[in-house]
Amino acid sequence: MLKLTYLQQWKVRSKTDNQRILTTLIILVALFAIAAILSRGVFLKPSNLLNLVFQNAILGVVSLGQFLVIITAGIDLSVGSLVGLSTVLLMVFQFAGLAGALVMTLVVPLVLGLINGFFVSLRRLPAFVVTLAMMLFAYSLAQVISGGAGVYSGLNGAPLSPALVAFNKQVIFGIPYPAIVWIAALLGVSLYLRLSLGHFTYAVGGNELAAFLSGIPVVTVRLLAYILSALYASIGGILAVARVGEGHPASGQPYLLDSIAAVTIGGANLAGGEGSVIGTLMGVIILGTINNIMNLLNISPMMQPAVKGIVILLAVYINSRKKRG
Amino acid sequence: MRNKASARRLAQRLNPYSAWIVLLVLVAYGAFGVRNFLSQMNLSAILYQYSIIGLLALGQFLVILTAGIDLSQGSVVALTSITAALVMTRYNVWLGIACGLLLATSMGAISGLLVSRTSMPPFLVTLGMMGVARGLAMQIANARPVPVYNDSFIAFGSSSLLGIPVSTYIWVGVALLCLFFLTRRPLGRYVYAVGSSEENCRLSGIKVPSVKLTVYVLSALLTAVGGVIWTSRLGSGSPVGGVNYELESIAAVVVGGGSLFGGKGRIDGVMAGVLIFGLINSILNLSGISPFWQGMIKGLIVLLAVALSQLRTRGGDKEEGEPANA
Amino acid sequence: MLEEVPLLELKGVNKSFSGVQVLHDVSLDLHPGEVHCLVGENGAGKSTLIKIISGAYRCDSGEITFLGQHFTHLNPRWALGHGISTIYQEIDVVPALSVAENISLGNEPRKRNGNIDRAALKLRAKKLLEDIGVSLRLNAPVGGLKIAHQQLVAIAKALSLNSRILILDEPTAVFTASEIEMLFRIIRKLKQQGLGLIYISHHLDEIFQIGDRITVLRDGWVTRMGKVQEFDKESLIQAMVGRQIDFSRRGEDDQSGEEILRVENLSRKGVYSGINLALRQGEIVGMAGLVGSGRSEMARGIFGADPISSGQLWLRGRRIRVRSPRQALAYGIGMLPENRKEEGLIQVRPLAENAGYSAVQATSRFGVVPWSRIRSLVRKIIKDVEVRFPSLNSEVRYLSGGNQQKVVIAKWLAARSEVLILDEPTRGVDVGAREEIYKLMHKFKKEGKAILMISSDLPEILTQSDRILVMAKGRIAGEIPRREATEQRVLSLALEAGKERSGEK
Repeated sequence: MLKLTYLQQWKVRSKTDNQRILTTLIILVALFAIAAILSRGVFLKPSNLLNLVFQNAILGVVSLGQFLVIITAGIDLSVGSLVGLSTVLLMVFQFAGLAGALVMTLVVPLVLGLINGFFVSLRRLPAFVVTLAMMLFAYSLAQVISGGAGVYSGLNGAPLSPALVAFNKQVIFGIPYPAIVWIAALLGVSLYLRLSLGHFTYAVGGNELAAFLSGIPVVTVRLLAYILSALYASIGGILAVARVGEGHPASGQPYLLDSIAAVTIGGANLAGGEGSVIGTLMGVIILGTINNIMNLLNISPMMQPAVKGIVILLAVYINSRKKRG
Repeated sequence: MRNKASARRLAQRLNPYSAWIVLLVLVAYGAFGVRNFLSQMNLSAILYQYSIIGLLALGQFLVILTAGIDLSQGSVVALTSITAALVMTRYNVWLGIACGLLLATSMGAISGLLVSRTSMPPFLVTLGMMGVARGLAMQIANARPVPVYNDSFIAFGSSSLLGIPVSTYIWVGVALLCLFFLTRRPLGRYVYAVGSSEENCRLSGIKVPSVKLTVYVLSALLTAVGGVIWTSRLGSGSPVGGVNYELESIAAVVVGGGSLFGGKGRIDGVMAGVLIFGLINSILNLSGISPFWQGMIKGLIVLLAVALSQLRTRGGDKEEGEPANA
Repeated sequence: MLEEVPLLELKGVNKSFSGVQVLHDVSLDLHPGEVHCLVGENGAGKSTLIKIISGAYRCDSGEITFLGQHFTHLNPRWALGHGISTIYQEIDVVPALSVAENISLGNEPRKRNGNIDRAALKLRAKKLLEDIGVSLRLNAPVGGLKIAHQQLVAIAKALSLNSRILILDEPTAVFTASEIEMLFRIIRKLKQQGLGLIYISHHLDEIFQIGDRITVLRDGWVTRMGKVQEFDKESLIQAMVGRQIDFSRRGEDDQSGEEILRVENLSRKGVYSGINLALRQGEIVGMAGLVGSGRSEMARGIFGADPISSGQLWLRGRRIRVRSPRQALAYGIGMLPENRKEEGLIQVRPLAENAGYSAVQATSRFGVVPWSRIRSLVRKIIKDVEVRFPSLNSEVRYLSGGNQQKVVIAKWLAARSEVLILDEPTRGVDVGAREEIYKLMHKFKKEGKAILMISSDLPEILTQSDRILVMAKGRIAGEIPRREATEQRVLSLALEAGKERSGEK
């Protein structure tokens, strides 16, 4: 049934968004082909593909939140710090049991996301600056809570919950748990976009005034975008803890720029109103594939930023040309 | 109702100077609330620490005036540093500096060309260049720092004249040059014009791509100067430095009254913005507050500064219904 | 005058875009001291033609003769430098720079060392403004000026380039009557100085007031050219559309029923006050008035888009509070904003999506949207409204002005509005689509709904309204039933309160 509704949704996507999805798909397929050739087919093995998903689940989830915010013509620079903060919170609150820790980990960033949304939406301050301030704030908060260093156990020495430790290793139908979480996140966003407030996200990003004059509750839509972005960042943080078993304020750093890169490679327009969930998904996989290719080619990790940078430039260039045509 | 309106008008009048007001408040707090704040040692330390960011902020300001942004500054600092150090150790100091500046400027030129000749958004272009510059910096020296052995070079970055760091003189000197450029030179006025209304500049025959290219090149150049000073202080070229410097410079510009939408802001505001962060740093350190709290306070200040500077635009919008000039 | 050497001559100009020919064998000539008006529906090729004259476009074939020299095409910088200036609707000034700087933009007087010579800059600005009989604060940032004054800066700038030809593209779109007069005074001065002006406008009255000759374009062809005296409104329109427009009153008897919406004592400090009006079922109420009389502001107040200082709204006898468009929508009140491009539509989103926004908001419960119902509803209404579109997925920005307007109408129809406020529903819409919009309005009315139509187009007000309210200086100056309505009566009411204020906004 979900497949059918997805197809129905296909019909109402704008032509530009469709074009961009196609372009991104072509890039993805090309990269897959390159990787397959370079690895003599190893790349395409299910185990490797699963691993790809596994590795990029965190980025995948975080990028979805960033996607929502970018559609509203905003940006969330605080996601990196929020991921870091979540990892710290999750570790530190181990003493309250896994459930308690999870609650704190989800609630605190949620509140911070709400604050982001408040200032952007109600006080009309530029998203760049508000989320920049929040980035500094959340990072600092994480440092204060963690004492500046990594957190390896709970406040009173409580160890990391075994459930979390096992999380990464668990598999259902051969799919690792983190991938399941990512899929759930994807479904979550897709579902949200079919609700009224989610649907209006594109309108608010495309032309806030016109959306307002159409009766759309603009403030609420924007607010929700930032709240969801923070929520997804915190989910990303949970996955991060499950992966490395520790919490550190800086552990979310790479996800900020990568999430923005993934969303824009996926065809979203920073000016708002354009983009797609599937594009974002493909953007994340493209980034992951590039990493994979670099490993296959034995390119040192030092060059990673350069390669990523070039990919971003290429993807944006291609999408910017499509606009004129 | 009346109070709100007159408060708003007051805010409008004070708006260009909002950064200085915040600065004054901080100075007052520091002077009365913190020991040793007004000492020469402390004040010159603040200047010392923030001259480099100050230079970056000036370059960032030029770019932001055109409604652009330069996220590559931090990576360019590292690139300049490693390049200069490598050439310096093999040849001589001046050649090293020149190569560092040249390479950085080329990066800026690439950014500028991409922004001006294509419809790629500056955010993403400089994001990409940030990665490219960083990767290049890492690759050049295999991710290892390159120590510099020239004593006079190392000394220059940390030296002071009349109690004020030399790097501060450089900063102020460059700021004056920028001021001169923005107010007296046609190209400088065009920078404001392009940020304010790019399309109309085009129609008036202004070569908008050239203006944009110029600001990115200048930003890279200024960043490179900062990078050279940084190298001198560090005593070596490092490919991993400068991380997040661009965010600091952007924050300084915004706190100083610059608008990310372009066409608005003043050099003195930018300088005040930089000093504001310097003062916060100093006040927190001298008060013995753990550096971990810095981020929260900086975040709040940035928020406050932007909220203040928005009061003007918001008031204008509602009353007259005129097109808002952010 | 016509014996002199023409400033500009176009002969046999053709232009195509992507295989579609937009100009066919167009010829035009312009003499010094002449105001040559260019009229035609949207899409007739006026913009393309003036862009060819200003050098922004190259024609595919044809000859341009400027000041006796022959060209196949012009280049914008060359054209500007040699005296062909265009004043567009979207005013080309730079808000952040001062008046003086704007006037010399791109052409600043410089000192020997390359710096800007500020004294010379100011002097030049002062002189040019004096030449057109205007004075402005030279240091004021242009962004803070009224639109009409910004227009003046643009004109002064054009003059600073020693223009021989000035092209004015819909210059008076948002002008008050006194500002239009000021513009005409300037135009007459410029005529005396020997400039040639090309004047594009939808406002036929202005053409008859200020024009010397008219060239009519239709679908890229010149259908008629001649002196202003050779035309009258009907023949002009006929040349534009090729059919006789029936000016006779669209006639049904007054079939209006119960009161739907009542506005009592609506005021907004400094903008409008004491507005009382009532909309009944099945009627179209026209709201006339000069630009700046507060009509749009009042409409936005009713709709909840702008705050109000005091006043009450009654919907079918029940007191309601409308504090936002969202609430207005919930009460069945819709509004077509004045500026459809920027306020009515999300340009980058598809047509079907745009048409559905208000309906989605109105029908969703706890966020859940009845998608299949919405989709079929939107499809049906888009068909009813006769939007011409390549596909439902096409972004609205690719539609023509008239079609875009229809999408906005569709949006509110889909939302099941009972009361529609239309703010300049046919501004910038070509005559064909205009008729279709009128048809829709009357259909809406027949269904027992009410329309409040704000319009600056007197013929439109006179022919479409069942009764006419006239607003002036923020108040309702009077009400005229359809039978007694004449242009003079409407105008006199609109101007009546304006005498003291010397035409200020």
